Amino acid sequence: MVKTWMPREATSLADILADARVWKLKDASAAPARPVWSTGRSSLDARLPGGGWPTASLIEVLLEGTGLGEVQLFLPALVASQASMGSPWLIWIAPPYEPYAPALAQQGIELNRLLVVRPPSATEALWAAEQALSSGVCAAVLLWLAGTDDRWLRRLKLAAEAGGALGVLFRPERHRYESSPAALRLMISKGENAAPRLDLLKVQGGRPGPIDISDP
Amino acid sequence: MRARSAKSRTADLFAAAPAPVPAAALAPIAAPAAHAAPAPAARPRNRQLWYAVVFPDLTVPETALVTLQRLCLHAQGFTSFVSIEPPNALLLEIRGSVKLFGSLQKLRADIDACWRGLELTARSAITPSTLASLWLARAGGTVQDEGPPDAVMLAKQLSDVPIACTAWDEALLQTLRAMGVAKVGELLRLPRAGLVRRFGPAVVQALDIALGKQPAPRRAFVPKERFRARSDFETEIDNTTYLQCALEPLIERCARFLRERQAGVQRLRLRLRHREGPATEVSLGLASITSEQRRLLDVAFQKLERLELKAPVRGMELISGSLRALSAESLDAFAGLTGVSGRDTAPQLVERLRARLGEEAVYGFCLIPEHRPEAAWRRVRELRAAAASQPILAAGMPRPVWLLDQPLPWSKPEILQGPERIESGWWDGKGVARDYYVAHPRHGTKLWVFQERHSKRWYLHGVFA
Repeated sequence: MVKTWMPREATSLADILADARVWKLKDASAAPARPVWSTGRSSLDARLPGGGWPTASLIEVLLEGTGLGEVQLFLPALVASQASMGSPWLIWIAPPYEPYAPALAQQGIELNRLLVVRPPSATEALWAAEQALSSGVCAAVLLWLAGTDDRWLRRLKLAAEAGGALGVLFRPERHRYESSPAALRLMISKGENAAPRLDLLKVQGGRPGPIDISDP
Repeated sequence: MRARSAKSRTADLFAAAPAPVPAAALAPIAAPAAHAAPAPAARPRNRQLWYAVVFPDLTVPETALVTLQRLCLHAQGFTSFVSIEPPNALLLEIRGSVKLFGSLQKLRADIDACWRGLELTARSAITPSTLASLWLARAGGTVQDEGPPDAVMLAKQLSDVPIACTAWDEALLQTLRAMGVAKVGELLRLPRAGLVRRFGPAVVQALDIALGKQPAPRRAFVPKERFRARSDFETEIDNTTYLQCALEPLIERCARFLRERQAGVQRLRLRLRHREGPATEVSLGLASITSEQRRLLDVAFQKLERLELKAPVRGMELISGSLRALSAESLDAFAGLTGVSGRDTAPQLVERLRARLGEEAVYGFCLIPEHRPEAAWRRVRELRAAAASQPILAAGMPRPVWLLDQPLPWSKPEILQGPERIESGWWDGKGVARDYYVAHPRHGTKLWVFQERHSKRWYLHGVFA
C-alpha cells in the first residue's frame, strides 16, 4: 500500500507540488499575478483567465477589416487602467485613421495622457512599441501592423512583461495561421448579419472558441 | 473707406460720452464742443483682450524688476505676449489663448491660480484696453469685460477708479484733485479740448487708450538670456562617441545655468564646426520644459548617435532656446510618473521616440470647444499636465473612434440613429450645415455619415471601431 513514487522526505502538499516530476494542469480560475482589466462585457470576462484583459503580456487581435468594434473592445480597460494607475500614458502606434479625440474624451479617456506615434515604417513601429511597452510609463500600448515576424513578436512580449503594460497588437486576419507567442489571440470577423463575430483562438489557461458579444 | 467709417464711429462714441459737466470743473477750462477736438488717428477695430495683473507686495524697485522678469516666464505659459509695466504689474494679451483654454473663465482662473501657487498677492482685471485693465487692476481688480472695445462700457467700468490708479505724476494728480477731480469718471466728463490745453496731449491720449478708442502698442517681454557656450578641440574629432564626451561638460554647465535661473528650455541647438564649410547644426527638442541634466544629455546623445559626420569636428557650440519658467506643470506632474519599472519618465520616452522617428511623429490631442467635428480638436506636441476641457457633444449621439481626414462621398445608407444637426463655422469661411447619422451596420462595420444640407449629398466621415 506504500505509494512508492512519492519521495520519502516529502511531508506536505507544497513539497510535492515543488517536485519537478509533478506536472501541474493549468487552472483557468487561478488569478494571475498581474492585474487584469475588465473588458466591460461579462460574457467575455468570464472566458478570460482572471476575468479580464491581462497586463504585462501581449494580446494579439486579428482583424478581418476596420470598424468591427476592435477599439471599443479595449476602451473600458483603457479607461480603468488610466483611472487606477494615476492616469499614466496610453500610446497608440500607427493607428489606421486619426483617432477622434472628442469621442475618446466622451468615453472617459484622459486625453492629456494619450499619445499617437506615426512611425515611417513597420520596423520603426515595432521599435517604438518595444520602447513604449518596456518603459514602464504606459498603462497600455496599442499597435496596428500589417505584418510582422515571430522574432519581433517575441521581443514585444518580453517588453510587455518587463513594463507591465497592457499590450495589444492589431494585425490583419491573414496572419491567423502563423505561430504567435502572444498569451491571448483573438479574431474579429465580419459576421453574417449586423454584429461582428469574436473568436478566441488561443487563451493561455483558458478555453478557445467563439464568444457572443452582442450584449454587454 | 474703412478709415472713414472708423473715424465716424470714434466721433459717435465721443458724442455718446456723458455730456453734463460740473460747472466748477468747467470754469477753468472753457471748452468748445467735445467732438470739435482733433480726433485721434483712426484705426481698424482692435480685437485684443488684455489681462492686467498688479502685485502690491512688490515694493522694492530694485528687486521688483527682476521678479517681474521671472514672472514673465510664468506668464508666457498662457500667452506669447507678455509686457512688463513697472514697478509692479504685467500685461498679458490673451485673446488668442481663450479658445485654447476652453473659456475666458477657465483661462483667467488658471492664470490667477499661477500667482497663488507662487504665493503672491495679485489683483487682476480684463478689458479690451491696456490702460483700462491696468487701472482697474490697480484699483482692486476682478473686472472682466470681454469686449469688443466699447468706449461707453469702458467709461462705465472706469468711472469709480481713483485717479491715483493712473500712476500719473504726483503734481498732475494734485492739480486734478484741486479741480475737484478724484475719480476717472469725473475726469472723463471734462471737455476734451480744455484738458488738452491745460495738461498737454498726454492725458487725453491716455484716456483715449483707456476707452479703447486708440490702440496702445506695447513692447513684449523677450527673455534676453540664453545659454551659450563653446568649446574648441585641440585635435579634430571624427567620432561621435568622442563628441559625446566633449559635449557632456557643456550640457552640465547649461543645466547649472538653468537651475540658477529656475528656468528650463524646450529646445537646444548644437553647432559643430569643421575646418572648412558650414557648421553642422543639430537641433535638440525636448518633450517638455526641463533643466534636468540627465534628460538634456539623453536627447543630445541620441541625436549624436544617429548623426553622420560629413567632416571632422574642430569645435562645438551649445546654444539654448528661449528660457521658460519651470512650472509645477512641467516638473512635478511628470516626476511622479516614473512608472512601474522606473526605467523612464514619460518625457524621456517621448524624447527617445522623437529623436529616432522625428518631431512630428509623436503627438497628443487637445480639445477645442467647437461643434464642427473636424475643428473640435487639434494635435499638440508639448506634454501638458493641465486638465483637458470637456468636449461639446450632444447627449446620446455617439462619436466614432476613427475620423477620416477628408469626408468621402458616399451612397445613401440605411439609418440606425440620427440625425444630429451640426451647423457652424459661418464666421471663418469653412461653414458646415450637415445632418449626421449612424448608418446601420453591414457586416459588422458601423459608419458615421452625414448629409450635406444644401447639396443633399452623402459623405462618410468616421468609423466606429
